[in-house]
Amino acid sequence: MNREEILKKTVEVIYECVPEMEGTELSEESVINTDTAIDSMGFTMVICRLEGIFGIKIPDRQWTKLSTLGDVISAIEKQLKKQGRLA
Amino acid sequence: MRFGSFSEMTGYYAERTPDSPALVFEEGGSVKALSFSAFHGRIRERAEELKSAAVLGAGSGAEGPAGVRCVGVFCTGSLDCVVDILAAARAGFQQVLLDPMASDELLKEQIGLSGADMLLGDEDLAEEFEEFLRPAGQAPDLKAGRILFFTSGTTASARAVALSEASLCCSAYNGGSLLPLDPSDRLLLMLPLNHVFGFVCGLLWPLSCGASAALGRGPRHYADDMAFFRPTAVSLVPLLLGFLLKNGLLNEELRLMLIGAGECPPALIRAVKDKGIRVSFGYGLTETSSGLALSLGDDPYALTVCPDDEIRIASDGEIMVRAPGSMMEGYYRDPEATARAFSDGWLMTGDLGLIGEGGRLWITGRKKDIFVLPDGTKVYLPEYEAKLSEVLAGRDFALFMKDGAVCLAVSGGKSEEDGIAEAVLPLMKTLPRGQQIRRILMTGAIPRTATGKVRRWALAEEVN
Repeated sequence: MNREEILKKTVEVIYECVPEMEGTELSEESVINTDTAIDSMGFTMVICRLEGIFGIKIPDRQWTKLSTLGDVISAIEKQLKKQGRLA
Repeated sequence: MRFGSFSEMTGYYAERTPDSPALVFEEGGSVKALSFSAFHGRIRERAEELKSAAVLGAGSGAEGPAGVRCVGVFCTGSLDCVVDILAAARAGFQQVLLDPMASDELLKEQIGLSGADMLLGDEDLAEEFEEFLRPAGQAPDLKAGRILFFTSGTTASARAVALSEASLCCSAYNGGSLLPLDPSDRLLLMLPLNHVFGFVCGLLWPLSCGASAALGRGPRHYADDMAFFRPTAVSLVPLLLGFLLKNGLLNEELRLMLIGAGECPPALIRAVKDKGIRVSFGYGLTETSSGLALSLGDDPYALTVCPDDEIRIASDGEIMVRAPGSMMEGYYRDPEATARAFSDGWLMTGDLGLIGEGGRLWITGRKKDIFVLPDGTKVYLPEYEAKLSEVLAGRDFALFMKDGAVCLAVSGGKSEEDGIAEAVLPLMKTLPRGQQIRRILMTGAIPRTATGKVRRWALAEEVN
């Protein structure tokens, strides 16, 4: 799995958890709490779903530091690396 | 029942209904219960441990006058955390309730201001922030039984409201006398304990009625805690209610819902009532240890003032409050701010309202330059706008709220919108999610009153 694949999956999850976002173009630079109008509840759902899919747990205190889609992907990468599932 | 301290509360039921569940929690994937008797015993035991300082995770050992210490508790919402808070009070400590999800900067500031000399609630966090504890030898203004709540996530400097066991218990009594819970009730605590609404209406309210509090498992379980704990009552903020309704997550045993800490759209209240659930809306402030008035009848916006509280309306419509039992001691180490908050012994709330039929209170708006977001967070506009003025130098702009979201109006043409968005982006990255600007409105002149105040409602009306 590489960063691009994680991005693809993350965008899928955002569309699934926040249906009103479907069709919105998202990139790593998208500030997902403003550009995409995902409220804190939607954001919680997205992160929980991603944790389940990737089999990871992003520490609670890191949640508040996740601003852009790129931040979320980096956090997932970091946890996957910790588990030795990502080079 | 009216209680003067947490120990008196748990001790009362430990004696009369020792086997009734006080706390319900998750352990190993199952629902477990801790009886009033066992809960009270654990608090007593833990208080002794704390007093002996034998089990402290992190701390400098500094003491204040007459041996009073100040403990910072990271409010994780776990069983241990609840026991620690109540035990620290029993041990005669001053304590400050901390949000484990807050930014590093905010936690450092809050630990420093409170004079905490030990940290509990989360070993990793206690270790991480140990260096910011009060050094030995320094003795700030400490008082046994004082509990500090920081006003919810603001862009302002940290401001702690000094409450006490007695004021919090009085507030719980006020709520319980208007909305009594039955000992068989189970109230789900989904809100953080470092917010006074969560602490009083999620924990003390059920305990003061001899009912049980189910300890929610945090944001990861917002979607399944109702199904897991099967509560009969719940206290919520509007944002969380919207989420639960949208996803069909309310359990069928639910019979009572208390909504507070922000405006709640009528559609949400109707949707809950349609499910046969009684809805009560609560109005209160951190400064008054939470609840001042609750709606009891069919109209969720017609509020009955709590028994110990007195409310009157100033000539300009501002709600003034006297709450002898539940009023704050003051803003901690800020006598000027405390003095400014009162007029002739009445707390000036900054909210606007009117008193109507049967002495009931209707909230009509806010006087202060503050937005209250749907999750209860307050946004202090002068400071937010001061930061924006640094990145929007020379532009005429104003913040306004629409549908629970912070919006920015800037005088200028539509073609400039992208440039404005780019300019504010670095600032947005430093702000909590709910406080970030969700929408930019390019407009003509920013509407103002004759005295120069922004007519924010006019901006909100401009947005479809």
